[in-house]
Amino acid sequence: MTGEALAFWGLAVILVGSALAVVLTKNLFHAVLWLALALTGTAGVFLLLDAEFLAAVQLLLYAGGIVTIVVFAIVVTERLVGERISQTSRRIAAGAIVAAGILAAVVSAVMERPLALERPPMESDLTQIIGETVMTRFVLPFELLAVLMLAGLMGAIYFARPDD
Amino acid sequence: MPEWVTPLVAPFILLNAVIGLVTYVTLLERKFAARMQSRIGPYRVGPHGLLQPIADAIKLMMKEDVVPTAADRPVYNLAPVVFLIPCMLIFATIPFAPGLGVADLNIGVLFFLAVSAMEIVGLFMAGWGSNNKYALLSAMRAVNQVISYDLPFIFAALTPVLLAGSLRMSDIAAAQQGLWFIFYPVIGQLAFIAFIVATVASENRAPFDILEAESELVAGFRVEYSGMKFAIIQLGEYAHVIGASFLGALLFLGAWAGPGPEWAGPIWFLIKAMLVFLLITWVRWSFVRIRVDQILALSWKALMPATLVLLIATAVVVVWRGHAGV
Repeated sequence: MTGEALAFWGLAVILVGSALAVVLTKNLFHAVLWLALALTGTAGVFLLLDAEFLAAVQLLLYAGGIVTIVVFAIVVTERLVGERISQTSRRIAAGAIVAAGILAAVVSAVMERPLALERPPMESDLTQIIGETVMTRFVLPFELLAVLMLAGLMGAIYFARPDD
Repeated sequence: MPEWVTPLVAPFILLNAVIGLVTYVTLLERKFAARMQSRIGPYRVGPHGLLQPIADAIKLMMKEDVVPTAADRPVYNLAPVVFLIPCMLIFATIPFAPGLGVADLNIGVLFFLAVSAMEIVGLFMAGWGSNNKYALLSAMRAVNQVISYDLPFIFAALTPVLLAGSLRMSDIAAAQQGLWFIFYPVIGQLAFIAFIVATVASENRAPFDILEAESELVAGFRVEYSGMKFAIIQLGEYAHVIGASFLGALLFLGAWAGPGPEWAGPIWFLIKAMLVFLLITWVRWSFVRIRVDQILALSWKALMPATLVLLIATAVVVVWRGHAGV
């Protein structure tokens, strides 16, 4: 087994394990920490695929994102509800059916058009290429995303506004 | 030497060098602060107190490890390690001389920023896991502060990146062989000031140390930690400051550029990083702690728009000149 395969299976175990722990653990705070591990593992997968830029962005965005989730999901809601909320797994059967359906769809899609086993040759400076395509070919979606974020920000301000 | 030896040996050497450096930087800071306040500082242990850091380390190792009964044990025990890992990882991409570093990634600066932001996860784990209201309050403040100061820090660090036209640390250092970016007209000085302010804030040092705030929060998120775990948190915190100092020296002060033979480069780099560190320390010991709302207002209303405008101005200058570099 090559080093790359070893790293992949290690990451796969961490990813699946931590993702399962996110939904199965009762303690909400622990769930968020498992989520942090899962997202870090995703960055590891990106690194394995030579997408260093994506890996760094993944870490950068989710490190701050995770703690924000913690604050909002636990500390703030706890204050609102007045008690500690624990995670429950109701309707687990329906969830399993939906998850199985998605898995089947993904697997069948991959089986229909098998992914290339050989990795395409990577361009020298991926960061530059990402920057250029975002600013030229994908400039419209990029700007639309900015508008979406602005709308989200304004919505947050609207809800956070104290009642007159 | 076989090829696989270097990736194993280089991080080991670097890790130990960083730990040794951090140990003695605490002495440097204490001496420096003492002189600023007309004191002598540590003097008893060894000549001029030179053995003080070692005595401190041994003392911390001998201490009893107290775990609060109500603590969330796995989180409490893991937190110092989760806190330390990013603080050590940031040194991985810093080249200490041309070709002398662990990994000179082509996204070096971005890697540094991304990994150093992960520190907050360990910090919040420590604050939450302690199950102490002061620790939790401190962790909440830390989250506020980190979210507010991450962006100005990134914008300030991106200005030299734009000037050099590369995210690779060694390219940025090489681009400053002619002119250090701190001497770049107007842009350089402003970016350096913004960088120092954002660094002081993201390192949670006075005047931005509301999460430590010994007069109200005792010592913040680490109040329940003792012995070796406390030592690890301290180590991580100082390593983070040193890492940011090296980044500042690399982005603005020309890294290893300096007179003398080529082997003096790392020494110049170390001296410059220590200068940045002393600048941060100087700020720390000169200003009083400001309130939470003042800290947040400073970030969102002043530093953030200023660094954003600065970044755009830098981009305009680079485009107008038609090429990156000085």
